[in-house]
Formats: sequence, C-alpha cells, structure tokens
Amino acid sequence: MKIDVGARSDAGRVRENNEDSFRVASGVSLFVLSDGMGGQASGEVASRLAVDAIVSHCREARSNPSSPLVGASIAGVSETTNRLASAIRAANRVVRAAAQRNEGHHGMGATAVAAWFTGERMSLAHVGDSRAYMLRGGLLEQLTKDHSFVAEQVRRGMMTPEEASASRMQNVLLRALGIDSEVDVDVDEELLTDGDTLLLCSDGLTHELPDAQIAAVLRDTSDAQEAATRLIDLANEAGGRDNVTVIVVRHVSKPVGVFARIGRWFKGPNGSSPKGGR
Amino acid sequence: MPKLVLKFENSILKEEVVGSKEVSIGRSPDNIIMIDNPAVSHYHARVFTEEGRLMLEDFGSLNGTFVNGQRVKMVTLKPGDSIAIGKHTIIVMESREDTGFATAGQAMKPAAPKIEETMMLDTKERREFLQKVAAVGESAQLAPERLKVATLVVRKGRTDRSEYVLTDKLTVVGKSAMATVKLKGWFTPKVAAQIHRREDNSYYIGAADKLPSVNGQPVLHPTKLESGDIIRIADIEVEFIYRD
Repeated sequence: MKIDVGARSDAGRVRENNEDSFRVASGVSLFVLSDGMGGQASGEVASRLAVDAIVSHCREARSNPSSPLVGASIAGVSETTNRLASAIRAANRVVRAAAQRNEGHHGMGATAVAAWFTGERMSLAHVGDSRAYMLRGGLLEQLTKDHSFVAEQVRRGMMTPEEASASRMQNVLLRALGIDSEVDVDVDEELLTDGDTLLLCSDGLTHELPDAQIAAVLRDTSDAQEAATRLIDLANEAGGRDNVTVIVVRHVSKPVGVFARIGRWFKGPNGSSPKGGR
Repeated sequence: MPKLVLKFENSILKEEVVGSKEVSIGRSPDNIIMIDNPAVSHYHARVFTEEGRLMLEDFGSLNGTFVNGQRVKMVTLKPGDSIAIGKHTIIVMESREDTGFATAGQAMKPAAPKIEETMMLDTKERREFLQKVAAVGESAQLAPERLKVATLVVRKGRTDRSEYVLTDKLTVVGKSAMATVKLKGWFTPKVAAQIHRREDNSYYIGAADKLPSVNGQPVLHPTKLESGDIIRIADIEVEFIYRD
C-alpha cells in the first residue's frame, strides 16, 4: 500500500487568527484535524491541544498495545478503531482540563476528525462538524455526520436542508471536545480500494464550496498536495470567511485499478454522490 | 451600541455613538467631541471599543479625567458612568437600537450565518433539544429492522460457511485473512466487497476490488440492502435477510 498525502491550513480572508490545527503523522498513517472555538485566541489552543493529544495517544498505543483505553470499548469495530475513539476521548479530557485551569481559556472547545490507516483498512472517528469525505469510483460521499444543531434537525426531518443552509444556527454544535467530562465519539471503518481519496476538512471549506466542486478538484488533481492547495484557494476565492484546513490522503496500490477506470466513466459534470451524506 | 452624551450643567450639547471608530475628546476642533474650555487639553482623552468592551483613556491631560469621581488613566466604561472633564460631563448610555452593550464591536453583530464563530449550545439548551429530538426520533426509528439480525445466507458458490450473521460495523467479503465472508478459488479477489452497518441498523454494500451486484444491478455506489436482496460477488451468490 502506498499513500500520497497533502495538507494545508489557512486563516481565510476575514479572520485574523487560525483556530484550526492538523497533524499528519505519516509514520503511523494517522491524520488528525481540529477546529477550535473560544474567545481570545483560546480556540487555537484548544485545537492544538486536541490534535497533539490524539496523535500521542495513538503513538503510545502503537508502542504499548496494552495501554488502557479511555472510555468504554465499542462493539463490532476493530481494536484500531477503538483506540482512535479512545484518543479522542483522551483529547476531550486534555482540552477540558486546560479550559478549567486557565480562566482565559474558559469555555474553549474543539472539533476533531481523525483517520487511521492500517493496511487496507481505515478507522475513522469524529466529534463536531469537521468532516471526512471519501472519493471512490469518482463519487464523493460524506462519511461523517455533523454534530450540529441544524444537521440533527435535518436528520430527524424537523428541518429541510434548504432551511438548514439559511439558518442562523449553523455554527451551533451539539458535541465538541472540552465541554463535558465525557464525550460521545462516532466511529466508522472503511476498506480501502485503489484510488480511494480521503478528505478531512474543517467547516471553512464546506461552507464555501459545494460538494460537487470539492469532488471535481479531488478527481481532477492527481497530486494530493496540489489538491489540498487548490481547495484552499477556491475556498478563499469564494469568500474565505472562516479558517479552512484540508488533509487529502490518496490510497494507491496499483497503477490502474478497476476504480480508476470507473472513476473515468464518472467524470461528468455532477461529481457529488446522489445519495449525499450519511 | 454605546453612546456618549456631552452635558454642560443641565443642557445636552452633543450625542455621539461609539462604533468601530474611536471618539476623541479635547479642545482642538478636530476632536469628535470638542469641548471649548481652557481647562480641557487639546487632545484630552479618547473612548474606544476593544474586544467588545468600551474603554476610556486619558492622554495625560493636565487637569485630568474623572469617572464617577475617580481620576483615571485607562478604564472600562459601563452604562451609567459619568465622565467629568473640566466643568463638562459625559454620560455613558446604551443606545436603544442595540441592547448588546457588552458586545459592542461590529464583528459581534449577527450578520450572515456563515461568518459567525462556532459555538456550543449550553448544557441546559442541549439537554432540552436532545430530549425533543429523541421524542421525534422514536417514531422514525421504529422500523422493524431495528431489532432484527442481518444475515447473509449463501445460495451459490464456495465459502467457508453457509451463513454469516452480520455483527460488525464493517464486513469484508473476499479471500483476505481479514474477510469475514471467506471466499475460495483461484481468481477470487482478496477483498471483493464491503458491507457497512449504519446507525439505524441498516446495511449498505459497497464495491472493493470487484464490482458486486445486487439483484442484477452493479453496485456503483453504496447501496442499501433490503431483506431478500440477492448479492452476487465474484462466483458466489448470497441472500441478505433480516431475521427476528
């Protein structure tokens, strides 16, 4: 297995601070992104603490697989996936402790989305509204569901997607790191196939660009770093109203696999998966 | 937004709203609040907002600036404060069209939804909301599949077992060691298909190194499985069934 990784973060065109943080831990094939919140630059602190805690928890587990899990084990998923969820719970504690210790950091919090590749498998875990997408066979699918006030109402049929995109509550989260003593982590697993492209991003990207445009960039740019740079540039051209961070991970095992071929058939104008997110 | 009201004895001389621009106070005519009195320095003081707070700074004036009777250099102002400069008084007031005095900065005003800072619903609001959606969700999630067990029954082809109960989030079909549904045979791919369990206990099949088909239709994107669906992967045929 070979992976090609590209990543970039930008403050955008309006905000002075960049409260997003990311880590690419290539040695362990771990990719982590976090979007911080909180006044007086504490969002920056929260997101940096979060990504660092997640990476160090996973690294430690690699060298000592019997190190204890934070929180309860989730049934029906792999050890790696459980470890990743544990790392996010550990990060929750770290951010919360820092928020309580320092008055200036009171109320700070962060989202987290993390992907861990082990062989042909990918473990995914997240809290908040930073997203993971998978481009597979030319189609883009949202792998994560936002833990936000409006997204939850759309899922329950209490609000239409149109109402949601016009809502003033779009920025309101239902889950984040650093807020409560425990946090519920959503996990997922994917089997990687040739040409699969994973995108982790903060909401600064998805608020500026529609899924179809994101899909087009990921399809048409073979170099992962070039794709990451292009996505940031487009988000800034569209307004750059928020910090924007992307990590693009492309899984390449064979020169031309069945998916690369299917991908070419699908290079139509509509790149977004008709099924949308889940 | 906060407002400064300049008074001399009982008459109001001027009203000035403090927006994003600072309000300079002094005897010189280029000040925003000009006080023509020899006891006032040419550039005496300024009022400005910083991080949502209203601030007053005295520029080291000869006769000083007093807030509620105390001589000050730099202070945070609140509504009702009385600033004395010479014989003039400036009263700090809230202007009626905006109640958010403490968050007076322009940036804090709700503008387009996208520009707002990410925030968390507070604990009480969150609890109430989650109770509300839980009530709505109950009916939506009463689908019969919820309590049933998804099973793959092999109808055709060589596999290591005749039935597989799907309990994992991800079930791999193929020759690979990590596959749950183990396929045999020379030309069988290592990973032929993957089946995902989603939160509502629904199952979706997706492609891997081979394109599986469901009821004869190739699976080009994750496809929801219904009880009775016939899945064809490489040389085998399995039926997806929900059991009680």
